[in-house]
Amino acid sequence: MPPRLDALPKGYQMPPSTFELSPEWVREYAAAVEDEAIGALDEGLIPPMAVAALAVRSLLESAELPPGAIHLGQEMAFLRPVRLGERLAVQAHVASRGERQGWVLIGIDLNVEDGEHGPVMEGRALLTMPAAQEGEP
Amino acid sequence: MTLDTGTELTPVVKEITQEKINRYALAGGDGNPLHTDPEFAARTMFGGTIAHGMLILAYLSEMMTAAFGRAWLSGGRLKVRFKAPARPGDTVSAVGHVVRAEGGRTVCEVECRNQRDEVLVSGEAEVTT
Repeated sequence: MPPRLDALPKGYQMPPSTFELSPEWVREYAAAVEDEAIGALDEGLIPPMAVAALAVRSLLESAELPPGAIHLGQEMAFLRPVRLGERLAVQAHVASRGERQGWVLIGIDLNVEDGEHGPVMEGRALLTMPAAQEGEP
Repeated sequence: MTLDTGTELTPVVKEITQEKINRYALAGGDGNPLHTDPEFAARTMFGGTIAHGMLILAYLSEMMTAAFGRAWLSGGRLKVRFKAPARPGDTVSAVGHVVRAEGGRTVCEVECRNQRDEVLVSGEAEVTT
């Protein structure tokens, strides 16, 4: 079972992971967000937020998001267009962590690269979540 | 594509439903019950389920893609804060306008608002063209 996100210390490096922007998953994502703009560009390009969503999904396999976590802020930079079927790698670490009145405030830095280590996307998410209570894992 | 200072971006308007939130939870692998479990969410400070922040940001990104095309995909930057939640039944509008355009950089103030004109997300989006 992966560790809870709120239990990770500042500087914690999550295990690197890879993901593929498969046609099936992109269809699922496109149906969820109803992006009507990307289709006007070259065929095969995918919405840049899809890369972010799949990178986060990949991270959630190595750190459990506690119930009730809230997204406070987000920074991201899209560094190159991504096409359907690409395989990408994501690295993430805990950039900041604080605790106040039973809530944890955590900043996660995230970098996505292609197979040649070319940068694709970078970002920082700021999240808050209830701190684990005694007796919780 | 270059837009002049003051140019309003074409808004993107979406209805939020629980079904859409559930669909995003599946695609994004984010099963936080705050988004998908009405009973759990009712006991939180929000009093009910709310949409994922990343779903709302997808609407801002769609607006930027429509305005700037490939430039957004290869040189777009977004920096936002979430101010209030989007809930099932809300109509969310992603809006923005150009505040600076110089030296190949276009900076826009961007927001998402609900049907009551409450700001849900605010921040800045920048494109290098």
